[in-house]
Amino acid sequence: MFKTNNVTSRIFERQIRTPAPGTSVHSARRFYENLVPSFTIYDVECPDHSFFKFTDDGQYFVCFSRNRQDLIVYRPTWLSFSCKGEDCDNNQELPPQVKRFESFFTQLYVKPLASCNELICKDFFLYMESNQFGIFATSTAQIQDARGTDGAILGVPSFEKITIHLFRLEDGFKLDEKVFHNDCVNLTHNMGAFLYDDLLAVVSLRYQTIHILQIRDSGNLVDVRAIGAYCREDDELFINSSSQLAGNRGDLVDNGTNHDQPNSNNSFLSGIKQRLLSFIFREIWSEETDQTQRVQCLKKKFYFHFQDYVDLVILKVQFLDRHHLLIKFGSVDVGASRNTDQLPAFFAVYNMETTEIVAFYQNAADELYLLFERFCDHFHATSINSMYMNFISSHSNNIHALEQLKSMKNKATSISQDSARHDNALLDTISSIVF
Amino acid sequence: MGSMLGNLPSFDPHNFSQLRPSDPSNPSKMVPSTYRPTHSRTLPPPDQVIATEAKNILIRNIYQRAEEKLRSKRAATEHLIPEHGCKQTRPSTS
Repeated sequence: MFKTNNVTSRIFERQIRTPAPGTSVHSARRFYENLVPSFTIYDVECPDHSFFKFTDDGQYFVCFSRNRQDLIVYRPTWLSFSCKGEDCDNNQELPPQVKRFESFFTQLYVKPLASCNELICKDFFLYMESNQFGIFATSTAQIQDARGTDGAILGVPSFEKITIHLFRLEDGFKLDEKVFHNDCVNLTHNMGAFLYDDLLAVVSLRYQTIHILQIRDSGNLVDVRAIGAYCREDDELFINSSSQLAGNRGDLVDNGTNHDQPNSNNSFLSGIKQRLLSFIFREIWSEETDQTQRVQCLKKKFYFHFQDYVDLVILKVQFLDRHHLLIKFGSVDVGASRNTDQLPAFFAVYNMETTEIVAFYQNAADELYLLFERFCDHFHATSINSMYMNFISSHSNNIHALEQLKSMKNKATSISQDSARHDNALLDTISSIVF
Repeated sequence: MGSMLGNLPSFDPHNFSQLRPSDPSNPSKMVPSTYRPTHSRTLPPPDQVIATEAKNILIRNIYQRAEEKLRSKRAATEHLIPEHGCKQTRPSTS
């Protein structure tokens, strides 16, 4: 089977031959080998907005106003012209419309997004292709000297109001919003949120909660669950009722209203922290069969580091499928900083339905790296509906890319003989591609 | 009869000389042979349903490793050689 590169014969082939099953997207994309940009246009007068992003399907071009208060959306309508004659390639004469911004983009609408004291986060945008919904975020300025309130951890900045907006991009109609008060969500480059199909995960760093929201077709943002202090929907009710029965319990402050948030004063750890610690405990427990060895092992590996484990905070979250989350834990100092990839990180796989931790990887474990080498495509969780993802080459489906990854890893580890630096090199490779 | 290829050049003109092309007025009496099973040992169970595993391969692998760890540690006193990962088919549990 000889594949031709000529665009005319490719078009004829497309007319007479059906592509192999499931590869229609791939066959269409091959035409980009024939269509290449051949002109660059300079000095086009553009409106004074900050241009942000094209949506993945190329339907919309998202911009924000200079004062970061308004959303402006354009429809890309590329100019087209044809040239008839023999010397078309060398003919550099382009029509005069080419110099105008409006020939390429049609403005659809300008909508106010942020109110007077808020600003749009100009790095945050998620797009739901199936319904053409766009998700934006606005926030107020950072509060200096944030007080520690119930449930909030210290060392993380606080913002008075962070709002996640859901818009229908077709007409700019605002569908719904979710507001976080006195909270901190890492919004730069979508780091604190992850969209999978119709599920949106938002990490509240300050209250250490993962909010799972569902985007309905009607445009409503529905709270599905909040994982953090409580894992199941009725945990809060259960804990409140049982503490009432227990009466006075040591460090619980009885204010009339039961504040049952597990903060550092409270010896009762609940929710995901409890799941994590008990998983680590059971793992170490089942490593040894001899009773005395077990206890020694526990002392060394668990109790010695107990406070460190308790102090771990949720940094990032992503979906692995509809029921499983991959959670990155770390220390609170890196909570709000940008470059979190160099410091020790712990990864846990959490099943939202059974509320169990399935796996826990400490700080660049070889096991996680192997899983990642073999199944990298599944770490970039995308919905089964996006067909083009079937054809992205990665080192899990392409031997040449795998060779390249292995040589990168060997170079990094051969330079550093020290095992701590070996771990860092491994972590670099993982972090550069996961998330 | 003349060569099937007519007067086209050929390596050996006697190739295909025995071949008689099928004649529509004289249909071939050859019937394609059919094969029937002599036993029913390999029939699938009547209630078998084949479905795609809902969990993707990464999740499956993570669960498998977790179970292997648990299994190999529990059996550590019984077996001297630790169990290596053995793939077992299991019904979809999700």
